[in-house]
Amino acid sequence: MKKIIAICILLLCSNAVFASAFLEEQNAIQSRIDRIGTDLLNYNKIPKRIVFTYTTKTKKALLSTDKTLTKRQVIIYDGLYQSVQTDDELAAMLAHEISTAVKSYSGIWGGALDSIQVALGSKKFETVADKRAVDYMVHAGYSPLALIIFINKTCPQKRTDRFSRHNLTSKRLARIYEYITYKYPQYLTDENYINNEYYQNFLLTSVNNRKLLEEKIQTKSTKEVKYE
Amino acid sequence: MNRFVFFVLMLCLMFSSVCYAGETPEIKTLPYNYLSVRSVPIKLSIAEEFTTKEPLNEGDTLKFIVRKDVYYNGKSIVKAGDIINGRIETIITAGMNGFPAEIIVDDFEIPGIKSTQMQSTYIKKGQNRCFWVYPLKWALTPIPFVGSLTNFIKGGHARIKTKDIITIYYYPEWL
Repeated sequence: MKKIIAICILLLCSNAVFASAFLEEQNAIQSRIDRIGTDLLNYNKIPKRIVFTYTTKTKKALLSTDKTLTKRQVIIYDGLYQSVQTDDELAAMLAHEISTAVKSYSGIWGGALDSIQVALGSKKFETVADKRAVDYMVHAGYSPLALIIFINKTCPQKRTDRFSRHNLTSKRLARIYEYITYKYPQYLTDENYINNEYYQNFLLTSVNNRKLLEEKIQTKSTKEVKYE
Repeated sequence: MNRFVFFVLMLCLMFSSVCYAGETPEIKTLPYNYLSVRSVPIKLSIAEEFTTKEPLNEGDTLKFIVRKDVYYNGKSIVKAGDIINGRIETIITAGMNGFPAEIIVDDFEIPGIKSTQMQSTYIKKGQNRCFWVYPLKWALTPIPFVGSLTNFIKGGHARIKTKDIITIYYYPEWL
């Protein structure tokens, strides 16, 4: 009898220990997200309220509303967070969402019309959000190449984007690379990233697109490049 | 014996105070401080009209003319007629269904003023045709395929005219 009581007490205690360890872990992740997110907002002097929420839930289906646009609440899902390794990569993920949230503040009806446009014209605004994310990262002292790494690691490559709400990942990456090449070329020689296996993987998979960009630079063209 | 216990207790107290001193958090100094609300508006206009029709890249600079003398604490910041540069941050091209083009200009360079002391994002949008394109689309939807034709109506180009007054703000007490 005494043994059973002892085991029950032990189980109860271990449960409490596990629960507190889980809470501490969640708290640590939330704190990290808040710190980097707030850094991005402050360094970029974004005079709008945006909050960051970490959740272990999985992302709902297509019909769920995007809280980044409606509530200016950036939701960081556990599944995506698992791919984040460095602070730069976390900043990349948050900067992209911040850019969308900032857009939802502009325009008439408290930004309602612009939010609808972002939701409907998601391909175009995805590119815009990527570019703004690069700016936000640079202003806050993070390397914009982390955005390339993060997208390269997390976004799958579809066959075509003709009927999709999202751009082909290779196009997104090429446009980000082009944007960095024109605006922040000093980051392209960052040794930390040249020696990064994920960045090297991007360089390997983007040879054709980078050739197109080189042609654009050599001919001093200002036309939009049609990336693959 | 009592003296020994007292001595040990004192030692413990001393060490604990050392420990606490070691744990005292350092005061964190941030590289920014937005405490002050004091701002000085600087009015500008673009030197040459610019539209998103023109082939320019993000990162290119545009020239702006200061419209009025600006003083802070009796000291001249900029004079009317001074030329300052602003950078094209992002260009959003006009899209289908009447989505307007948009241009975001920032990073205005004023001698003697740090970029961290300015709130200078300027956004100009083109004509938003969504207001009539969407009702038209819905009205035409009962006729097969006709509603989709509105997809080809593009929004207006963003145009910064020379008479447009652009106001950016200098916060002299920000770091």
